[in-house]
Amino acid sequence: MTTLIGVGTRLGIVAFDALHVDGRRAQPTRVRLRFDDAGQRLTSDSGLRWPFADLRALRDQADPARVILRLAGNGTERLMLSDPEAIRLIRTRAPDLWKRPPVPGLWRLWAWAGAAMASVALIIFVLIPVMADQLARFIPPRGERALGEATFQQVRRALDQRGVGGLRVCTRPEGRAALDNLVARLTDEADLPAELTVHVLDSELVNAFALPGGIVVLFDGLIDAAGTPEEVAAVLAHEIGHVAARDPTRIALRSAGSIGVLGLLLGDFAGGAVVLFLANQVIQADYSRQAEAAADAYAGDLLVEAGLPPSAIADFFQRLQARGGEPAGLLVHLRSHPALGDRIAAARDRDPGSAALPPALTEAQWQALRSICP
Amino acid sequence: MSQALSTVTAPDALPDRGAGGTLTTDFAGRPEDLFRLSLKTGALTVLTLGFYRFWMKTRLRRWYWSAVRPGGIGLEYTGLPAEKLLGFLIAVVILAFYIGVVNLILMFASYALLAQNGAAYAISLAGVVPLWFFARYRARRYVLARTRWRGIRFGMQPGAWGYAGRALVHWAVTILTLGALWPRMTFALEKYRTDRTFYGSARLTQGGRWQMLMPQFVHALTGGGLSALSALVAYLDHPSFGWLLTLTIPWLGYGVCHYIAGSTRVMADHKTAEGISLVSAIRPQRVARIYLFGTLGAAGIIAAPLVVLGLSALAVETNRAALAAIPSWAFALVGAMVYFAVFLAWATLRHVFVLMPLWRHYAETLTVRGAEAVGTVRQRTPDGSTEAEGFAEALDVGAAI
Repeated sequence: MTTLIGVGTRLGIVAFDALHVDGRRAQPTRVRLRFDDAGQRLTSDSGLRWPFADLRALRDQADPARVILRLAGNGTERLMLSDPEAIRLIRTRAPDLWKRPPVPGLWRLWAWAGAAMASVALIIFVLIPVMADQLARFIPPRGERALGEATFQQVRRALDQRGVGGLRVCTRPEGRAALDNLVARLTDEADLPAELTVHVLDSELVNAFALPGGIVVLFDGLIDAAGTPEEVAAVLAHEIGHVAARDPTRIALRSAGSIGVLGLLLGDFAGGAVVLFLANQVIQADYSRQAEAAADAYAGDLLVEAGLPPSAIADFFQRLQARGGEPAGLLVHLRSHPALGDRIAAARDRDPGSAALPPALTEAQWQALRSICP
Repeated sequence: MSQALSTVTAPDALPDRGAGGTLTTDFAGRPEDLFRLSLKTGALTVLTLGFYRFWMKTRLRRWYWSAVRPGGIGLEYTGLPAEKLLGFLIAVVILAFYIGVVNLILMFASYALLAQNGAAYAISLAGVVPLWFFARYRARRYVLARTRWRGIRFGMQPGAWGYAGRALVHWAVTILTLGALWPRMTFALEKYRTDRTFYGSARLTQGGRWQMLMPQFVHALTGGGLSALSALVAYLDHPSFGWLLTLTIPWLGYGVCHYIAGSTRVMADHKTAEGISLVSAIRPQRVARIYLFGTLGAAGIIAAPLVVLGLSALAVETNRAALAAIPSWAFALVGAMVYFAVFLAWATLRHVFVLMPLWRHYAETLTVRGAEAVGTVRQRTPDGSTEAEGFAEALDVGAAI
């Protein structure tokens, strides 16, 4: 019950009832509280002395008509109030009523946050790559092929923005024949760890990538952007270089390990984004500098063997630079390794002279390849 | 004067001590408040890429706990967001190694030996199952340790690995008996947890025996049995029998819901703690209605604007020129925004239409007997374990809130 006492013309309550739990026994007791404004505290007949400055209210309570008070610190004592006038008066007197409690053990939190980040970084950037590189050597061809097929389907699904069954594989017979022709000319002399399969995907992206088990994927956008069949041949030769070194197997095993760790960190709410990101990693194929250099050297030899100009890669790069836009995958590699340009220039010097060579494809074949995606 | 006097007549809303030795439970929450809290904390979670979820969980729990008031005094949730974050980080350090390295080896082995990845997923999943039960027990222990009523802490003894072992055996038995012994598992696992639970100085005991749950299981058993039978007959002989499944599968669905609600009620009726006992009047049909109509209502509210969006997208699709004028990043942006908006709307509406009505029903049907004995319960020392529910969080063990 509320007691009202008039003080001159000003009215205010001086005493009100509340329920008190002492945090020692599960026995709430009804207490009569008073505002001791001189002592800046709440007092009760039963001996409670709660300073205004230490009053805190529990947050996020369901019943807006009730306020539960505690004292600053970790105590278990509580006062439950439901008198609206008393609540109003306490709000005006307690300066830190809604202050949040300090975060305990903050340094421990930071230490573990650091440890978590360090361990995840160690696992993703050191442990998984090292293990993947070792394991990639021992995977038998049949398993490697299966891994490549599975990754190919994942990439097709992830890149299909319309979300129906994955990107289309282009198989128009005339174009296919021209492509097979080009691939055969390149790989006749090559000694590859797996049989080569080249797919063209119906996408406007200007990119190409290799997958485990001898799968090389060209995007239709790259064929459109190329000026001559020799340029397509040069890109193919570079990807075949990765196949020869089994680089994609390493990347695929790496992403198999990383996908779970990243999913763990982000929770299911961003799970879809993780899959997309990792599929992207596969096609962006961030190979090491040595791996790229080895693939370039391999491609150069392959092209010379096949009687094709290695310098076509430089022509292709210049064409894309002139066109502008965001470079991707292979092209990022080209851009980020300026020395490569020099090496290609050197290769150009050593070219037996492109005029003397038979073209990579006849004009009819080249047009067929350009329209492989109907 | 009259203004001041009005406060004198304000009703005294504080509860009395339990009359006649029993305490009824009321639920003090309003849906509009929960909607606001859930929407606000959910939006912050999305904006912080999931980081705020520890705060969101804490704040929602504080709200739900305070709304449940046995004898008019609400529960108090004292868990802290920072300790949840810490527990999560500790779990990440341990699990990142397991999930990264072990998965990689399994994936390799699976491709090298079998030329496919199905086996790797299966083994990897099987490896996480014991951890999953472990995490569930730890999560319950954490939540109980951070729950108070009348200023007195709940608590749970350690025993997560024992729980995980028992849960594995019981699941194996349940699967081998095609689900027929599910009640035996429910009883045994709940007894394991309850018998390790304390309210202050009072230890809880789960009485009764598993056969008492069988009546609650009849619907699930019948629906499941008839579904299996119809499918078998349709598969072997008469494909036309397949249509029976449209009747038996909803029956099975209701049966499972009936069993979960009904077994919770029966188990609650047999819980005691040194002179205190519980009486529950949960109505399984009511629970099934809340699930069905709550889910439909929430889904309907979300689906309506999506249908409009889809139709307008279709209209634009027919106009190729207009489509080409829109840059692809705009599509990606709109797509991401729709994804997160649906995520947020679903989480919020699920609270308002499903979880809160369920909690209200479970609370309002609960009575505590032996109110005098409650008063003699004394405080217990705090449980200082630091991992909180980190494993459950990292493994995404389905907790309601």
